[in-house]
Amino acid sequence: MSKYAFWPGCVAQGAAPELYTSTLAVAEKLGMDLVELEAAACTGAGIISDGEPYLQDVLNARTMAMAEQMALPLMDICSTCVGVHRLAAEKLREVDYRIRINAHLAPEGIEYRGSVDPRHLLWILLEDVGIDKINSLIKRPLEELNLGPFYGCYIVRPERTLDFDANPTRRNSLEQLIEILGATTVTYDGMTKCCGFPILTMNKKNSLTMAGTHLEEAQSLGADALVTPCPLCHLNLDAQQPDAAKVIDRSLNLPILHVPQLLGLAMGIEPEKLGLTRHVVDTNRLLNKIGA
Amino acid sequence: MAQQQFIIERYNPDTEESYEESFDVDVQPGQTVLDSLNAIKWEQDGTLSFRMSCRHAICGSCAMKVNGQSMLSCQTQVDSAAERGDPIRIGPQGNQNVVKDLVVDVTKFLDQFERAETWLEPHEGQDPPEKEYRQKVEEFDHWSHASTCIHCGACYSDCTVAAVDENFLGPAALAKAYRFVMDSRDSKRTERLQFLSEEQGGIWDCTRCYMCVQACPKDVLPMDAIMELRTMAIEAGFTNNHGTRHHKGFTSGVRKRGRLDEMMLPIQSVGIGRLLTGNISAHKEMMDYTPGAIRLLKARKLLKIAQRHGANAEGREQIQRIFEEVETEKHHHNVDAEAFGAEFETAIGGH
Repeated sequence: MSKYAFWPGCVAQGAAPELYTSTLAVAEKLGMDLVELEAAACTGAGIISDGEPYLQDVLNARTMAMAEQMALPLMDICSTCVGVHRLAAEKLREVDYRIRINAHLAPEGIEYRGSVDPRHLLWILLEDVGIDKINSLIKRPLEELNLGPFYGCYIVRPERTLDFDANPTRRNSLEQLIEILGATTVTYDGMTKCCGFPILTMNKKNSLTMAGTHLEEAQSLGADALVTPCPLCHLNLDAQQPDAAKVIDRSLNLPILHVPQLLGLAMGIEPEKLGLTRHVVDTNRLLNKIGA
Repeated sequence: MAQQQFIIERYNPDTEESYEESFDVDVQPGQTVLDSLNAIKWEQDGTLSFRMSCRHAICGSCAMKVNGQSMLSCQTQVDSAAERGDPIRIGPQGNQNVVKDLVVDVTKFLDQFERAETWLEPHEGQDPPEKEYRQKVEEFDHWSHASTCIHCGACYSDCTVAAVDENFLGPAALAKAYRFVMDSRDSKRTERLQFLSEEQGGIWDCTRCYMCVQACPKDVLPMDAIMELRTMAIEAGFTNNHGTRHHKGFTSGVRKRGRLDEMMLPIQSVGIGRLLTGNISAHKEMMDYTPGAIRLLKARKLLKIAQRHGANAEGREQIQRIFEEVETEKHHHNVDAEAFGAEFETAIGGH
C-alpha cells in the first residue's frame, strides 16, 4: 500500500467539503494510505505573504519538515496549496535562508532538510498510481462526457517550480486523466487562466468577469462540465456561477467537478458519497448522461 | 533542413478582415521564429507585418504570441516552439488593439508608465552629481533583476487582469514603479507606495496568476515586484484598503486556529471597524455577500464553514508560538526583505 503525508488544505475542510470526502473515497479504492497532517498550518495561499512572506515560509517549512520526518511523500489536493508549497521549497533551497527558518522549527524538535517534492493528487495519479491501475478500476467509462479542464494557476505556473521537463505528464495532466476515464477533452483558451477568486472580495466585477468568460467559452464549445484540481477555482466557478452569469450577461449552467469526484464517478462510486449533491450548480443532468 | 508549418493570425485594417493564413517554411537547426517570419515576408508574402529590430532579445520589439503565450520571437527557436510535426501558431500580443497582422497599438501599455511616474525623482536640495547618481551595490543587488525590463509588453499581453480591466496599471509599469521605490536615489518612496496602494488598478488588483512571470523574457519577476510592493505599502502604513484587511483577517484566522477562517474572513475584509461606525459602503459590501451565502446554505456548505475547522491542539500551540517568534524577530531584522531576497536568488539562479 502506498502511503502519503496528506495535506487537505483549508477549503476542502470548509467551503468545499465534497473535495475532502471524495478524496478519501477514491484513495480507499486505490489503496492509498493517507496520513493527514492534522497539526499543520494553512499554506497562507499567497495571502499571508502579501504582508508577511517570511512567516508564510516558516509555516510551510514546518509542514514539509513534518512530511520529511515521517519519510513520506507530501500530497496536496489543491492547486494553490501545491503551488505555494513548491514555491516555499524552491526558496528553502537557499541554505542560509533555510537555516534561519529552521530556527523556528527547532523548539518543536523538527528541521526541514530540503528534500520534499510536494505533489498534487492529480500528478500522483499519473506518476505513482499509473494508467494501468486506474484503467483496471474503471466501472463506468465516461464516454458520453465532454469535459473542459480548468487547472488553477499554481499547478501550471511558474513553470520553473513544477519540474515539467522531468515529468512531462504534468504539463497536460488533466487532459490525460479525462482521456483515461473515457471522456473527451474540450480545449479552450481560459483553461490555464485565472478563475478570478483571489480578487473576488477586492474587485468583484473583474473577478467574476474572469470566471464568467472562461465558463461561457467552455460551455459554448460544448463542455458538459469542467473539472478542476483547485477548490478555490471551484468556489468562483461553481458557488459564484449565478453572479458571474449576471456580470457577463449570459446564461450559464456548467457543473464543476473536483478531480477525485470525476475519478470516483468513473470508478462507480455513488454520486452522493462523492458530494456531487452538494454543489451550487446542479449536477443531475450530468449524472443522468452517464447513468449514475 | 525540415519544413515547418506556421499558422499566422492576420488582420487587414483596410478591409477590417481577420483571418488565419498558413505558410510552410524550410527551417535550419537553431532557426528562430523571427527568422521564419522574415523568410515568409521576403520570399512568400511581403505584406505580412510585424515589429522587429535588434534580433538579440534586447530591443523588445518582436514580442508576440507563439502557441498562445507571449515571447520574443527572436529568442524563440522553432525547435523549442513546436513538437515535431505540429504547426506553430503565431498571433499578435493580447490586451491591445491590433493595427495590422502582428503589430499592436502599444499606446495603452506605454501610458501606464507615465501614470506610475516611473522616472527618478532625486532628493531635493542636492546638487546634481558631477557624473552619475550613485547607488550602493548591496542595495542594487536586491532589485537588479527588476531593472532589466525591455518594455516588450509580453507580460501585459498575457496579464489576466489587463484582459478584463483597461484601468489596471499592469505588470510592467508596476515592476518599474517597484524599481524606483527600491532605489535609494529616489526621493518619492512613500508617495509612490501610497499611490500604488490607493490607485484604482494598482497593486491590490493583481490576481497573483503568475502569467507575467511566465511570459517575461528577462526574469523581471513582475508579480513578485507587486507582492513586495504590497508588503512595503502595508509596512509604510497604507492599510486602509480591502487588500490589507483581507491579508490581516486571513493571517489572524491562521494565527488563532492554524487554518483559514472562512466564517470571519469576509467580515474582516470589509472591516469590523468600518461596519461598527456605520460606513455605508462597508454595509453595502456585506449585503453583496448575502446571495452567495444563501447559495452555500442551500448547497449544505455553510454549516461546514461555520464549524470552523482548525489544526489540532498541539499544532495550534506551535503555530501560535511561531507567530509570536516571527513578530519579535521582525523588530530586529527585516526578515520579509530576506524572504524576497531568497526568492529572487533561487528563482533567477534556478534556470
